[in-house]
Amino acid sequence: MALDADEVAVREWATKEQLTMPVLVDKYHVVADLYGIVNVPAAVWVDENDRIVRPADSTPGSDLFRDFSNVDSEVHHNLLRKWVRSGERDLDDARVREFQVKPSPDVQLARLHRRIAIALRERDQDGDSLASREHLTRAEELAPLDWTIRRGNMPLVGVDPFGDEFFKFVGEWTNAGRPGFKLGTGRVKK
Amino acid sequence: MNQGRVVNQEGETTVVDVASNFGEFAVSLADFARATGWQLKPEGLCIDEICVPVREANRLTDGTSIDLVEFARVTKQNIVFDRQRQVAALGERADSRGDSMSSLLAPDFKLPDIHGRQVSFSDFNRRKRLLLAWSSW
Repeated sequence: MALDADEVAVREWATKEQLTMPVLVDKYHVVADLYGIVNVPAAVWVDENDRIVRPADSTPGSDLFRDFSNVDSEVHHNLLRKWVRSGERDLDDARVREFQVKPSPDVQLARLHRRIAIALRERDQDGDSLASREHLTRAEELAPLDWTIRRGNMPLVGVDPFGDEFFKFVGEWTNAGRPGFKLGTGRVKK
Repeated sequence: MNQGRVVNQEGETTVVDVASNFGEFAVSLADFARATGWQLKPEGLCIDEICVPVREANRLTDGTSIDLVEFARVTKQNIVFDRQRQVAALGERADSRGDSMSSLLAPDFKLPDIHGRQVSFSDFNRRKRLLLAWSSW
């Protein structure tokens, strides 16, 4: 599931390899809201009885950005294999709740400003583009440390998500104590 | 009436008629039901089997349209709207979202896949599911 307003970019990525799982496009970040997802890539485990058995956490697919993330991606992969094969979980319900990232009132409002921005971008009548940017800016003011909003907005306003603006954001986020996912699966000391 | 849009909690966009002479962001009764899934009945505002009583009906409706701002207040939802661009978005408040997360019940959702087909999370129920969030950015 891609947290992405740009379905063309999603299709481009998702068709690079032959994938057997469904790839969904979540333009309005509905699933981010439902499951407390504040950055990508992230994973949530749901069992056969519709129970959340592992909360959203940063789970890179590989060690490509390990120097930046300090995450050993194999740790999550191994936990996942164990759960799929034997049903054995690494967290009980109390721990799942402890590590969920619940939204602040401002983050919830930021998500709605972002939704208005995306609806305006999709409609694209005279003046919609400018108004869309205003709502994206408002969303960033309300949720300055949420990656799905700050970094997710960058391509929507023509900013390089690996450029100066991104590193400025990373600086702000680091100074604020790197808030976000709490679980830290596979996090290693440098 | 002016044409506007409402994005609901499920991320569905509905084109609506926005009233010019009532409420902060009022839509016609028919559009209200289509956009939100809620209905105004004698017992109050209702969705599925749940009804919320309405104490000040004249703030909610003038008989032809329903003010979404008052609706959101009565049903304890968030609303953000752009009056000038005629777009409104409804969403869950932080406290109720926190409560639903704590229940550990995996909420269902429906989204288009990359081929435009609608897929529900519940299409895969009774199986273990890995919900993976990624992006192009």
